[in-house]
Amino acid sequence: MLKKLTQFYHPKTIEEACLFLGNKEQKTAIIAGGTSEALRQDNSIEALVDISQVKELAYINKDTAFFRIGAGTPVQDIYKSAALTGPSGNLLKTAAGKIGSTLLRNSITAGGNLAAIFPWSDMPLVYMALDAEIVCRKGKPKRTVPVQTIIDQKAPQFLDKAEIIAEIAIPCYGKGTGTSFAKLVKTANDYSMATVATRLSIKNGLIEQVRIAINAITASPVRCLEAEKMLTGQKPGAELLAAAAKKAADSLTIRKDFRASREYRKEVCEVMIRRALGEALEKAGK
Amino acid sequence: MKLNTKINGKAFCLEIQPNATLMDVLRQAGMKSVKFGCGEGSCGSCAVMIDGRPRNSCITLAGCAEGAEILTVEGMGNPENPHVLQKAFVDTGSTQCGYCNPGSLIAAKALLDKNPNPTAEDVKDALDGNLCRCTGYVKRIDAVLQAAAESKKTTKSTRGKK
Repeated sequence: MLKKLTQFYHPKTIEEACLFLGNKEQKTAIIAGGTSEALRQDNSIEALVDISQVKELAYINKDTAFFRIGAGTPVQDIYKSAALTGPSGNLLKTAAGKIGSTLLRNSITAGGNLAAIFPWSDMPLVYMALDAEIVCRKGKPKRTVPVQTIIDQKAPQFLDKAEIIAEIAIPCYGKGTGTSFAKLVKTANDYSMATVATRLSIKNGLIEQVRIAINAITASPVRCLEAEKMLTGQKPGAELLAAAAKKAADSLTIRKDFRASREYRKEVCEVMIRRALGEALEKAGK
Repeated sequence: MKLNTKINGKAFCLEIQPNATLMDVLRQAGMKSVKFGCGEGSCGSCAVMIDGRPRNSCITLAGCAEGAEILTVEGMGNPENPHVLQKAFVDTGSTQCGYCNPGSLIAAKALLDKNPNPTAEDVKDALDGNLCRCTGYVKRIDAVLQAAAESKKTTKSTRGKK
């Protein structure tokens, strides 16, 4: 692991971190909690920029329309946060609490989970279901992009060499919105076999907006756009949700590994999506 | 590469391989309570406190602990003067082979530092990353609850004396 590594940098600010990352003479990479680095086993990296001491990257705030989570915030802090409330807060906390164990949650960060996406990553789904916006910083300059852009292009390709994910901004949804999160896993600490996050808003008795985000069943996080389209503007009911869940399951390119076959995953994911939608609908009505 | 870090309250300047894990470095520095279990962050026997957070040291690079304060079981207590948690683990029989104990003690201490009055659910939640294959999981929940009650007694009595 990391055979060519010779140096660590420990910046204290975002600008400093970007400066170290931009170094053209060394192959540098960013490290926060370090859990993905341990998995990746990249032997070409010469220097690591450790951002765990950048204080301006670790916070959970709320302003008028957004929960703002610093990219370096350990997911344990999200799980235990009292500031995260409402449908968005519930979804964030539930998902964060289902990541690995306390020891891992103290290492895994809100931004790291998005920067290095694995099939079992939980937070990217949640960001997708909540239509999060991602703030990227390259020194002082910053740009804000929808989370889908980073999912589509993959963070290492999307970000410039000296650019980092700095913040995840999550819209605060209010009454009439319900969210749900479900994960099928052999033990709490194992990699997920199927993960679903949903958000559903009701207005005047009709489904106004719905998001179905999937991971682990597929190789990378995806939204079930056809099923979402099928539900939008309709009067919610058990039959409609079941039909949408079937459509969603049919639209996925399902992967397999030794934990579960493709057939099994397909079977359970349809049930999981149907139940997840039902749960979100029930919460939206409250 | 040099690593400057504080282990159990003592400043260390260690010569390390850049790609060494914190677990290896701590063991080489004499902290043999840090155990190698799975080596992939699943079992928790390597757990140490880094700046007050319990983390798996087997998947943490030592270089990331620059300037950090690390706590291992050596810094909690010793046979003559055990920490209240260590005593409770012995009293409740929450130890057999003992391999998971250092990690569990660190995770339990992290819980009590933040929450001096935990419920059984809180204990389960806090120790969810520490596998134990001997005692089952009931005894150590008892142990942590007992330690919490015990330390409340001591703080009360010292307050009384003042």
